[in-house]
Amino acid sequence: MDNDAILRVEHLNKSFYRYQVLTDVNYTMKKGDLAAIIGPNGAGKTTFFNLITGYHTVSRGRILFKEREITNWPRHRIARTGITRAFQVSNIFPKLTAYQNVRQSILAHQNKTLDFFTPAERLAEKETTELLEITGLAPHRGTEAGILSQGDKKKLELALALGSKPDLLLLDEPTAGMSSEETHETMELVKRLNQEVGLTILFTEHDISVIFGYARKLSVLHQGVLVAEGTPDEVRRNEQAQKCYLGEEI
Amino acid sequence: MEFSFIFSQFLSGLTYGVILFLVASGLSLIFGVMNILNFAHATLWLIGAYFSYSFWHLLQDSHFALWVSIPLAALATGAVGWALEVLLIKRIYKRELHEQLLVTYAVALILGDLIKIVWGPTDRLIIRPPVIQQPIHILGAPLDSYFVFVILMGFAVAAGLWWFLTFTKYGHIVKAAVFSREMVGALGIPIPRIFTWVFTLGIFIAGLAGGIQSAIGSVTLGMDISIIIQAFCVVVIGGFGSLLGTLAGALIVGEVFSFAILFWTDGAMVLIFVITAVILIVRPWGLFGTPMRA
Amino acid sequence: MSAKRFLEKYWLPLLLLAAAAALPLLIAEFWIHVFNEILILGLFAVSFNLIFGYMGQLSFGHAAYYSIGAYTTGLLMVKAKWPLLLCLPVSMLTAGAAALILGFFCVRLRGIYFAILTMAFGQLVFFIIFQWYSFTGGDNGLQGIRPPPWLFSTNPYYYFTLAVVTLAMLVLRIITESPFGYTMRAIRDNTERTEFIGINVQKYMVINLVIAGMFAGLAGALWGPFNRSLAPDLTGWQHSGIPVFMAVLGGPHHFLGPMVGSVIYTFLNAFVTGFTEYWPLVSGLVIIWVVLLMPGGLFGVLQTSGRFRAKRETGEKEKAAKRAIYG
Repeated sequence: MDNDAILRVEHLNKSFYRYQVLTDVNYTMKKGDLAAIIGPNGAGKTTFFNLITGYHTVSRGRILFKEREITNWPRHRIARTGITRAFQVSNIFPKLTAYQNVRQSILAHQNKTLDFFTPAERLAEKETTELLEITGLAPHRGTEAGILSQGDKKKLELALALGSKPDLLLLDEPTAGMSSEETHETMELVKRLNQEVGLTILFTEHDISVIFGYARKLSVLHQGVLVAEGTPDEVRRNEQAQKCYLGEEI
Repeated sequence: MEFSFIFSQFLSGLTYGVILFLVASGLSLIFGVMNILNFAHATLWLIGAYFSYSFWHLLQDSHFALWVSIPLAALATGAVGWALEVLLIKRIYKRELHEQLLVTYAVALILGDLIKIVWGPTDRLIIRPPVIQQPIHILGAPLDSYFVFVILMGFAVAAGLWWFLTFTKYGHIVKAAVFSREMVGALGIPIPRIFTWVFTLGIFIAGLAGGIQSAIGSVTLGMDISIIIQAFCVVVIGGFGSLLGTLAGALIVGEVFSFAILFWTDGAMVLIFVITAVILIVRPWGLFGTPMRA
Repeated sequence: MSAKRFLEKYWLPLLLLAAAAALPLLIAEFWIHVFNEILILGLFAVSFNLIFGYMGQLSFGHAAYYSIGAYTTGLLMVKAKWPLLLCLPVSMLTAGAAALILGFFCVRLRGIYFAILTMAFGQLVFFIIFQWYSFTGGDNGLQGIRPPPWLFSTNPYYYFTLAVVTLAMLVLRIITESPFGYTMRAIRDNTERTEFIGINVQKYMVINLVIAGMFAGLAGALWGPFNRSLAPDLTGWQHSGIPVFMAVLGGPHHFLGPMVGSVIYTFLNAFVTGFTEYWPLVSGLVIIWVVLLMPGGLFGVLQTSGRFRAKRETGEKEKAAKRAIYG
């Protein structure tokens, strides 16, 4: 048994009708990894996340989380085992306030959502406030999520994913649309979560400085196939990877 | 059981199915293209029936009264439909589902009362021209001879619509719009004008159906209420936006109803609703609809 | 919570309750009868709004549960001579059971298909009641539902209804402000995301449908003895449209919206039918007016004007904060 292999993806294939999106993808993550997957648009990164989190069913292959097979499990069940995800396009609850958004995630994790009688405003105050502060949303706690700025919505995305206290966090372009200051804030938070809390994190990104600044392991996906894997430096020197994505040497 | 009896039931189911098809085809077209579930559709059908009665009444000394009043009724109802689209329906395309349903429901209420105001509460009866007063016999089974006309008209309308959708430029546009409004708009074709004409066409067909209906029994208030839900069932079973689906759905409902009445008089309508519910649960886009819509 | 804050937060419902309680002293018996109807239909509409305003789905067959509750109480009282107070909870159970069975299927669909399936189920129930002549009296309906002697006249039955409806609304209010209630709002705002935070959406939707069905059944149960008789048209799709309209009229995003909608609708109905038979025409025009010109209903209109003020305030605060950070 491979020690601490928290995520194992074996021979993953996915096609939509007759269009093959992912071909024979094998991927492993150890507990505590901070890894990134990169590739041009349409390479299949989001589909990869979708399959792991149960958004789509696999065409062929297996996904194991903590050595348990979770292939094709219903989404809510996968979320409960400890995998959560922040979406590329903000997928929040627009009519609820930022505070209520985060609280909802926390209450779901605490199994309190079948409570019919306690006023929700009295529950999870401490945890919700903490999470809002960690993600930098404290000044906007009372604002309706739908009218937040793009950058704040991404932060809320992250907060929603963290509210479920995951063991594995998937981040789909976490800094897209953010200013350089917000990007730095967010990625420092990601780094802290990984180092201090031991959260295993996998993210996709287009921002080169983010990838090379934070990822300890890098994989390149091109037209549904994993073409390179290794530390960021190894990948940078890999000819295949350069050919299909990085263009010229940096 | 005698063959002629079964065949007679089949024919009556066929007739009922064709009537349902005539009512539902416009409904299906409108929903397929514009995503509007027109609660007022049966009421417009009823207005067509009343228009037909009025035109017949005006011309009743002539032999051709009925045959002229039906297309006139279709035109008059189409005009009402056009006015309705331009004044009201146009404003609700971008609205939420519940707002659209409430508005078309409100139109049904308003038009229903307008019928009462204009034509009064008494039943209206058209006296048929002599050529269709006697039943004819097909394979030993008696059939109301007007029903022959009804069935022929039904298939004529189906054929006409099919020809329009398959062979004319406008028909192609309509078919494309059922699949993707955005693409059609992006090709520079004016969506608002298409919507107006599709809606008008749908209501025109409803008016035609009403005209045809006007010579079957009497024209009374409240006929719209009983038929609108059946029309919904037809469209659900057959699939929104599909001509073949609406025809299939209508014939299925007509025949199921016709035969179910024999075994379970009280439960025939229940059976129709059970079938509708099953289709919605198992295959929401209907027998011939496009899954993308689900 | 201190008494002052309590009054600040709940002044509107308290005011309405006080006004409702004082009515019999102020107006004629005919209008008390009307307000009794307002309360019953209002509870029906509030229960509907659990599905619509809070969970974001349009049910066009809610009258099925209302009438199942009505017929349960009516039949128990007329045929088995059960006391009214016992019939009320039983009606809630039968309506809730029906909601469980039908809801199980409905939650597999969303949007227009959900609406049509609920309508089909509503018609199904209608035809069952309509055709089952021996049991329900078919289109002759059920006659002779007599409230107990202490509730027989208008005022006592009005206070009884007020008590039951107030209690029911309190329970519903507690539920909508609970974690379950917020989970409903999450499902409304983003069903997909709700799954991803670990919630089995279909299960929760069924539970909500059952609760909504139970309270619709309670409203129906109050109607039978009030009206002294029942007819199958309580089940039809037109009756299902009434709570929809009330919720839209009063405002589906406020807890009291549907009840306020009931006040306006029922009052208007009683008033208009007093001098014309063309109520459908009038109600149709009102519906179109409200939908086109008053999105969010009455409460929506009131809140938008309040919100413009609040938005300007937060806008100022944000601008000041940005200036502080970026100089």
